[in-house]
Amino acid sequence: MLFNSYQFIFLFLPVALAGYFASDRLGNVAPVLWLALASLGFYSVSGWQFVPLLLGSIAFNYAVGWLMISSRLHPAPRFAILAFGVAGDLAVLGYFKYAGFLAANLNAIFSTGFAVNVLLPVGISFYTFTQIAFLVDAYRGKVARYALPHYALFVTYFPHLIAGPILHHRDMIPQFERAEAKRPDPHLILCGLIIFAIGLFKKTCLADGIQPLVSLAFGPNAPTFDQAWLGALAYTFQLYFDFSGYSDMAIGISLMFGIFLPLNFNSPYKATSIVDFWRRWHMTLSQFLRDYLYIPLGGNRHGAVLRYVNLMVTMVLGGLWHGAAWTFVVWGALHGGYLCVNHAWNRFGPAVAPRFERAADIAAFVVTFIAVVIAWVFFRADSMTTALYVLSKMADPGNVAFGRLEIAQAIFILIYAGIAWFAPNTQTIMGYDHANRTVGRGLRAWQMRPLFIYATAAVLAFGILGIQQHSEFIYFRF
Amino acid sequence: MNSPAKYLPRFLCAGALIIALAVMVNFVVDPLQLFRPARLFAAMYSQDSRMQDAGLIRSQQFDTVFMGTSLAIHYRQSDIDRHLGVRSLKLALSGSNSKEQKFVLEAALERHPRRILWQMDDWIFRDAPDVDADIYVPVDLYRRNARGIAGYLFSGSMARESLWIALRSIPPLQSLVARLTTGVIFKFPVANVDDINALHPRFDVAGFYNAKSTLAAFRRITDPVRSRYLAQGYDYDAMIRHFERDAVGLIEKNPDVQFDIYFPPYSILQFVAMRDASPPTLKIAYDFSAYAAPRLLHFPNVRLYDFREAKEITHDLGNYADVIHHSPAIDLKVLSMLAEGKYRLDRPSPTASLDRLKAQVEAYRVEELR
Repeated sequence: MLFNSYQFIFLFLPVALAGYFASDRLGNVAPVLWLALASLGFYSVSGWQFVPLLLGSIAFNYAVGWLMISSRLHPAPRFAILAFGVAGDLAVLGYFKYAGFLAANLNAIFSTGFAVNVLLPVGISFYTFTQIAFLVDAYRGKVARYALPHYALFVTYFPHLIAGPILHHRDMIPQFERAEAKRPDPHLILCGLIIFAIGLFKKTCLADGIQPLVSLAFGPNAPTFDQAWLGALAYTFQLYFDFSGYSDMAIGISLMFGIFLPLNFNSPYKATSIVDFWRRWHMTLSQFLRDYLYIPLGGNRHGAVLRYVNLMVTMVLGGLWHGAAWTFVVWGALHGGYLCVNHAWNRFGPAVAPRFERAADIAAFVVTFIAVVIAWVFFRADSMTTALYVLSKMADPGNVAFGRLEIAQAIFILIYAGIAWFAPNTQTIMGYDHANRTVGRGLRAWQMRPLFIYATAAVLAFGILGIQQHSEFIYFRF
Repeated sequence: MNSPAKYLPRFLCAGALIIALAVMVNFVVDPLQLFRPARLFAAMYSQDSRMQDAGLIRSQQFDTVFMGTSLAIHYRQSDIDRHLGVRSLKLALSGSNSKEQKFVLEAALERHPRRILWQMDDWIFRDAPDVDADIYVPVDLYRRNARGIAGYLFSGSMARESLWIALRSIPPLQSLVARLTTGVIFKFPVANVDDINALHPRFDVAGFYNAKSTLAAFRRITDPVRSRYLAQGYDYDAMIRHFERDAVGLIEKNPDVQFDIYFPPYSILQFVAMRDASPPTLKIAYDFSAYAAPRLLHFPNVRLYDFREAKEITHDLGNYADVIHHSPAIDLKVLSMLAEGKYRLDRPSPTASLDRLKAQVEAYRVEELR
């Protein structure tokens, strides 16, 4: 089910909220069970045939985690259990996500004619990573015992289940255990609605609005230099508003249930370096890769060379996590390379004189943005051939169309750039503080100025009016 | 009452009010003319035929429907009317398949036209998703069901068009708004129904339709790297199945409607390309014609024309932009040939024209072009 659908907004969400708050009278666990069941219902609309797989994954990981938490085992068997659990998760993920890719590559090399067609279960990347983190923390002794309903809700929680953010058990389960979260709080509901409205607007009006321009670069017609750039920039902003909109909606929906989700975006296109970009883009994935891949690999503890190797490995695997295709591998490798250059520059590059700091920041911002746009070409293209073709057009200024149409399209893209670069982000507007579990403090002090309320109501209305019948989120495919 | 509890209903009511206003604007302006022909505001049309046709079917007066693919998209209704003495409605859809065409024609047949003018070729009968799975066809708008009407009225982009159309009706703003309507942001840039998808008078016809372009396209599709695309979707049994369901089924269900069906004048190079680069595809094309022509002529309400053998058109490569798409001059020529009954197939010898086409294809020498 899509957040940007009438069924979700006018049927599923009100029923889920009403049931959640109403079941509070039946005890502390009833709302948790209700929400877990609602989440399964939500999931089954997107892929009912994968519900048993999701339930199996929950049962498997809970059992493996329980073994590590409850038993007083020696380190070796504990590690063996962890390895078994993680290997099980990766095997399932690998089968569903990478078997076809592997077979296609073996075919290309050995001409075996062996074909594998496996349907990708919706959200499998997200719920697998979530649970791997749980197992690793259980092994490290950082997990207290959790009740099964709370654990099941942590994995299935519908605001995040299909496209993130990647949740952490230590952050979420204690919130599910809190009794206060199960009573309706008008302030949280209103703030949640406003955040949801902003996210919905980003998705239906901004991301879907610019989507047709993407075909300028990636469509059937050969693009000119300017059309290739316009198409690549259109995708750059489409992806941003699509994913950022989803993340806002997830946070907003969750807030109505009294649960604070972690931030996933912090105006990434305002970044002045690639390191900065990855602190702002898909923040929960970056944190996961850092804590459960980069640091276990050794991080920066074994010298500069190994640090760069670890960075490359982490980013290539991060790329592969997004999809089983060489284009994602190259995208990840490209960002790995960018990060290496960034760290090397920080270490060996010249210091900037204070009077040039502003200019240096602007240059760094421009270089970072262009590097990101170039990498998105690989992310978007359906094959390496297409990606290289589009890039070749972007590097050929001799072939320019720049007619009335292209000027109108360029103005359109500039408006999007203006919003992404200069507008405050949702968390700033709403004063969303995930760590301190507060939101809308400024608004409270401001006594909910009517103008703000009506303006955000208009944003909600435009978001709903912008709903189209066929408009999936890009991250649904990952 | 504390602030949030007070502001929550206000927030929801304000949102609902704005949505209601948008619905009202859409209903009053009715950009697609789905509820009524344009009266309050001057009519505007979109170039997106799949969406626009749903409105045209409801709002236009017609006795003849013109259906086809991109080979029929540039025709002008006024030319059809002038040549054939009818009041026509052009519903041609670029890249359309027989399922889509049948679906749209069925909606148009509810208005009881007397005649269907149908540009038909083997290509439209290739395998394609059902219209309900095709995201480009707004099926519910054609069906006029609650979902379609709600989707239309609750559409923000339609409200934007509605406001723009309303603005364009204010005399002092008319020319300014018209100049700003480029089709990029506002999707209803056409003021005259006759201009929908017709080529602009300033369009460089000679620069687009010429022998150089045709030959370049021929070389492209016969290049061994790409020639497999010639065969894409060509499966004789499936094509016959689709033909029976979509074409024959529709004709059988409407015995009172006159069907004027024509096979369009591809350039000879289309068949020569198949002959040289994909002979099995050519065989399927021939076999399909050999099946379809007698089958269509079996119905008394069908007149069938085969312009593929019109040598004076198909062998002049200057008439084409690629190997199949012909120039607007040929559109007019086709209309006059339809009016004259030229290249009309005789019921006793339905495959005679196919035999002549085969001989032409056989005899054509590509070397002369090099």
